Amino acid sequence: MTLETTSRPRLLAGCRWAEASGAERLLLFPEGAIRLQGTGREILERCDGQRTVEQIVEELRQIYSAGDPARIEEDVRIFLGKLHQKRIIDF
Amino acid sequence: MVSAPLALIAELTHRCPLHCVYCSNPLAMRNAASELSTTEWIRVFEQAGQAGCLHVHFTGGEPLARSDLVELTARARAAGLYVNLITSGIGLSEMRLAALTEAGLEHIQLSFQGGQAEAADEIAGAHSHGHKLALARLIRKFKLAFTINAVVHRQNLDDLSAIIAMAEELAPDRLEIANVQYYGWALRNRDALMPTRRQLEQSQATVSAAEQRLAGRMRIDYVTPDYYARYPKACMGGWGRRLLLIDPAGQALPCHAAGVIPGLTFDNIREHSLAWIWQQSSAFQRFRGEAWMPEPCRSCDRRSEDFGGCRCQAWLLTGDATATDPVCSLAPSHGLVEKVVARTTDDLAQEKSTFAALPTAWVYRRNPS
Repeated sequence: MTLETTSRPRLLAGCRWAEASGAERLLLFPEGAIRLQGTGREILERCDGQRTVEQIVEELRQIYSAGDPARIEEDVRIFLGKLHQKRIIDF
Repeated sequence: MVSAPLALIAELTHRCPLHCVYCSNPLAMRNAASELSTTEWIRVFEQAGQAGCLHVHFTGGEPLARSDLVELTARARAAGLYVNLITSGIGLSEMRLAALTEAGLEHIQLSFQGGQAEAADEIAGAHSHGHKLALARLIRKFKLAFTINAVVHRQNLDDLSAIIAMAEELAPDRLEIANVQYYGWALRNRDALMPTRRQLEQSQATVSAAEQRLAGRMRIDYVTPDYYARYPKACMGGWGRRLLLIDPAGQALPCHAAGVIPGLTFDNIREHSLAWIWQQSSAFQRFRGEAWMPEPCRSCDRRSEDFGGCRCQAWLLTGDATATDPVCSLAPSHGLVEKVVARTTDDLAQEKSTFAALPTAWVYRRNPS
């Protein structure tokens, strides 16, 4: 299953956020957790099953307005691809 | 100050309806009368949550043997812990699964002893495979993360493709293919469980191909046998670094096997707080840091990665809990492991006839009396 611009990524069952403490936030999943901050956190927090990939990329571009737009899209795709392989998100 | 444990391993009971020949429970098990009460476990969860623990793993024996499991789940969740259930599935009905999910269960890991009933039930010492298949289909109806844990060894590694295909059809999020590790009952049965080198190499190729094929659908984690590794595993993420186990009677251990190491006093959660045990107790301090390490570990570049391997395995194989884990190629006692591996045979036909001549080849896990 490939990630399209119209895909709506969402967290899989058993994957959820812990409360944020400052810039970092923990994402809990079976038997583990990852700490996210910066772009990683911004991307994953937008994986709500509502926003499309296109919308997520657009919102990231607005936050990181000094960044290269094409690079931001690539980073989003790569990041989502990794989370998909780890079975943290689906789309 | 040592950072908080990532996870609490709640070994709720040593009672179990199965008798798996690879079980890593201690040979000296806790009986039902000695088990912590519901209230006592709840206090453990609250302390773990307060100490900054993120996860609890409900395990055993068979955690479903505890009739208070739904309440324990609810209270663990309320204490701020993510609840993982590590189970054989025996004792789980749809109604009970619904109640556990409602109470806050988030992840279930279901064990499989093989890819088909006859072989799987022989390893488990009970008719269980059919129930697990039915249960797996049921689990998908609930909002739960689902892992299948397929335990592999010489007797079933040649069936690995079929085991993966079975798992694929049951559609868990994740498949853990776990080579047996040699503690408890598994150590008693080691000669019958140790894979051959050929099997190991073939299994790695099979897993690799399956990982690629299933990428994005099912995650596969493959745990290879450390007897064949070049370097040891970072057992439990290091002694007293990431994980804290409370046994059915409240004894606090850095892992399920550490009770075999002599000269250590393990404290009990009935008498001491979890925070004190983790931070201050002598048993938990014993193999932290590097001061305890002998050579070659003490000056080894890998010491902060694998911590010299497993203390329990060092004790079990060499009689010295401080020794370099013998699975390490740099261990002075590595020859012990090489000898075991050299005894494995590819001639399974010959092996089967040898077993046929013995009245009881397997040492099956007993229940606590």
